[in-house]
Amino acid sequence: MAKKPVFPNPEFWKAKDNIDWKKQGENLKVCLGIFAEMFKETDWEKFAEVQKSNAVAFVDRIKDEYSAFMALDAAGKKDIIVNGEKHLGRLYRKGAMATVRREWRGVKDTAYDFYEWARMWGMLLMTFSKDLIPAMNSALHYRWMISYFCCHGFMDKNLMGQRGRALRMSHILIYDVFRYVAENLVFLSKADRKNGNSIELNKKMVTFDEMTMGQIMAGFPDLLGIPYQLLPVFLVSEIDQLVCVPYIDAVESFGLPADCCPVPSSECGSLVLDAEPDMGSCFLSSSMPCDGSTMASSYFSRRFPNTPVFHLCFPVRYEDESVLQSAADEIKACIKFIEDQTGAKWNWDAYFATMKRFNTETAYELQKWEINKTAYPQLIGPAYELFRKWNYEMDGGVDPRVIPTCEKINKILLEAYENKDEAWPGKMKYRAIVWSCPAHYYANFSNWAANCWGINVLVEMESLNFTKPLETEDKEEALRDLARLYERMVMRRHTNGGYHNVVTELWRQCEAWNTKLIIMYQNVACKNMATVQGLLDEQGRERGYDLIWIEHDLMDPRTVSRRTMRDKVNEYMRTVMNAEPCDPSLVEFEDEVCM
Amino acid sequence: MKDLKHLIYFENLLESANNELVQQAQAEGGICLGYTCYHVPEVLLNIGDCFSVRLRAPNTGSLDIATYYMSNYTCEYARALVERGIEGGYRFLDALIGVDACSMMNRTMEHLELLNINDKEKFFVTHMDIPFKVVDYTINAYVTQMQIHVLDNLREKFGVDVSDKAIRAAVKEHNEVCKIISEIGEMRKADIPVVTGYEFHLLNLVSFCCPKKLILPYLKETLKEIKARKPDPKPWFRARVAMVGSEIDDPSLTKLFEDCGAFICSDRYCFGSTPGREVIELNDEEDALIQICRHVMNHSECARYIADEKVLQRRETADRLAKEYKAEGIIYEQMKYCDYWGFERALVSHVMSEEYGWPVLSIDRLYNNGTSGQLRTRCQAFVESLEIKRIHKEEGIK
Repeated sequence: MAKKPVFPNPEFWKAKDNIDWKKQGENLKVCLGIFAEMFKETDWEKFAEVQKSNAVAFVDRIKDEYSAFMALDAAGKKDIIVNGEKHLGRLYRKGAMATVRREWRGVKDTAYDFYEWARMWGMLLMTFSKDLIPAMNSALHYRWMISYFCCHGFMDKNLMGQRGRALRMSHILIYDVFRYVAENLVFLSKADRKNGNSIELNKKMVTFDEMTMGQIMAGFPDLLGIPYQLLPVFLVSEIDQLVCVPYIDAVESFGLPADCCPVPSSECGSLVLDAEPDMGSCFLSSSMPCDGSTMASSYFSRRFPNTPVFHLCFPVRYEDESVLQSAADEIKACIKFIEDQTGAKWNWDAYFATMKRFNTETAYELQKWEINKTAYPQLIGPAYELFRKWNYEMDGGVDPRVIPTCEKINKILLEAYENKDEAWPGKMKYRAIVWSCPAHYYANFSNWAANCWGINVLVEMESLNFTKPLETEDKEEALRDLARLYERMVMRRHTNGGYHNVVTELWRQCEAWNTKLIIMYQNVACKNMATVQGLLDEQGRERGYDLIWIEHDLMDPRTVSRRTMRDKVNEYMRTVMNAEPCDPSLVEFEDEVCM
Repeated sequence: MKDLKHLIYFENLLESANNELVQQAQAEGGICLGYTCYHVPEVLLNIGDCFSVRLRAPNTGSLDIATYYMSNYTCEYARALVERGIEGGYRFLDALIGVDACSMMNRTMEHLELLNINDKEKFFVTHMDIPFKVVDYTINAYVTQMQIHVLDNLREKFGVDVSDKAIRAAVKEHNEVCKIISEIGEMRKADIPVVTGYEFHLLNLVSFCCPKKLILPYLKETLKEIKARKPDPKPWFRARVAMVGSEIDDPSLTKLFEDCGAFICSDRYCFGSTPGREVIELNDEEDALIQICRHVMNHSECARYIADEKVLQRRETADRLAKEYKAEGIIYEQMKYCDYWGFERALVSHVMSEEYGWPVLSIDRLYNNGTSGQLRTRCQAFVESLEIKRIHKEEGIK
């Protein structure tokens, strides 16, 4: 029987912490001071009033829901009990930071949903218990850590309205992403010199820019690669819409123009606010995927001057094969840098084994696309979108536990297709494609669009990346393939290398996926996309596509709120498409402060 | 000081991309190649009958159509070129040599190609990849790009002789221009210089925007004239400042600063003389093309280079120039919406102040600023602060 691969490397868990308790005590004292100040400054009368009004609202809601249920006829009641509730707008309340309760999905699916909820809690507790003290102590160092306590709420938001096999697939996929996050949060806490300060782990840790793909670590099985801004900035901004606001304000006060993309702005702002852990033996920055991201690395060097940095830079005109060799040489130089900094040696066997896994995962991905291109798309929604990006960009075949996930998903997917299931039962009206980068603060927008208007996002631009199987035998060709892959990272694949990669490609994909409706995101600070907006608009109209332009500011909901984003769709659907909402309760609702 | 003899002529040449000398050169059979970025080696566009014109959009007004295509959150220089192209302002070009060095300028080149701004039969637009760091393999890639996109295209489309000999001849003429501009530039080091920042900006710009062969006689004459010029008895400015940052092709911006009493004694920006007007030293052993490419990459001060040595080079260059030209402060400027310089300016304006000890004015600006009251106010305040620092220094107050 084949040996079951152990992942992550147990050595990483075993690495000894070297916590400076005196410093932790000082930090705790500072935190207690802040809490005391907050306690003193709290208007307790107002607090009591709010609690009272919450209690009243709670009672009113129970009464409303009871009355609504009782007003139904027997068949209606049975339908609600068996198939779940229909008016999801009820789950939101003005001023609430979370939904008022979890969704009722019918007996069977609610039971399954709670099982997954418990399984997720179990995984989180087990993972954190592997080194609990530094992990929990992170909450006293970084405010973003608190946002992760709401990850179940994030899971619920992404799965709203889903039933049956679609729900199962979404749960399975999101579990893998959360497991990656939980494990890396623990490693990050252990390694952070302010916190766990594990010298042993830091020697084995290579940090990289969150835009840098993780596949290069496949050749270093004894090292741990962590995209260092992913957890404090990038991913948490999908969980908590307000988490990046202080970062953006800080860096703009520092002097950065407000028109810069919120991703590098937030990353630089987190450095200004000292919200990034100090960890790792070296850092890989990158020139990806845009001018702004390229520049953020100089802020890292300024904050952590003692961490050696390798700037992993790839040609922009990536389709020009004459520049490919320089990209492959860059990979070689990067490998040498890691070897020099860590003392580890590149392992071709480990690399090829990982790339074989990645190729298998890509093959499964293509299978999903084939099914979603048919009249019966199955695996859609934000959980899948998140998994795809994580799997392509961060995991890249490194984690062997992802293969069983892919196998499970594939099995359910085929069953669902054979049964002609609907991902959102009764709400499959419009086939749509998402183009350009979605707003982090509204990660579940496609879920809302499906539930409210029956707009089914079959695929996102950011999912449509490099699918060529990577070389797993010839070493030189393998380096060139790895370079090709890196050149075509998420976003970069489309926004670099010429307008045809983003404009002409859209029309090609619309045909391939048989979609007429395009959710055209407009990140107001994305210059790469803004500079083709006229071409997209002009050529889209010529071809007769329905383009819903939706402005957003990626990580700053103050510029364009979630509600404003929804209004764009509402307006278009009512006035241009003459459509009726599937769920009228989702047309207007308040979620300005809801995570 | 007395006005330069050709000052108004130079100003007039800069009123249009298709100026009198460009027209004359084309009438004489010259092949006009437009470009915008320092990463296109200017000298390669001046081989044989070819001549280069670094593209500007003087007197830009409304950017409405370009804004439709490229949104209002993008570089105004990039949009101004698209607008001017749509208006028909670049129909005179025989080719457009573009680089994918910054995304917005790359999109400009693509729009100029897609929107058919030029109907000449042999007209072409080419886009080159520019590396982000300077190491052996990236220089090789850069050389290959120049060979394929510039030299091969010129040979195939226009039958231009692109031999090593032809390149070396172009370098010779290029160096002649560089020597004149550098010599005039050096005069800015004097306590009471015989050339103003505005005049120097004009001279440098015409050297970028006019055929070398035709502008050379004027530059030679002007050099002679400046050498013979008598300085004013007292400085005509209140403070000396070094300008560092992104693209400035509008001399009225320099004029605006100088009207506020700030002498722009050094120009480290795109379209400035550093980099751009350094003499290219060639040896006989290596191909001229390789040496030129290495020269460009080594001298480039573009903020897109993020490798530590290049980041340091930019800071050291700004510091060196400010010292050599006896500046009292540095103005870090950035074309609004330029991501490279947006990030660079924000950080470096702190670094130059805290680590290098320079008073720094940090500004972002639009493409055309000749009449900006806001910039004038900020510059006046900066000049006053530099004067106060000088007085404190003279009085020994820390």
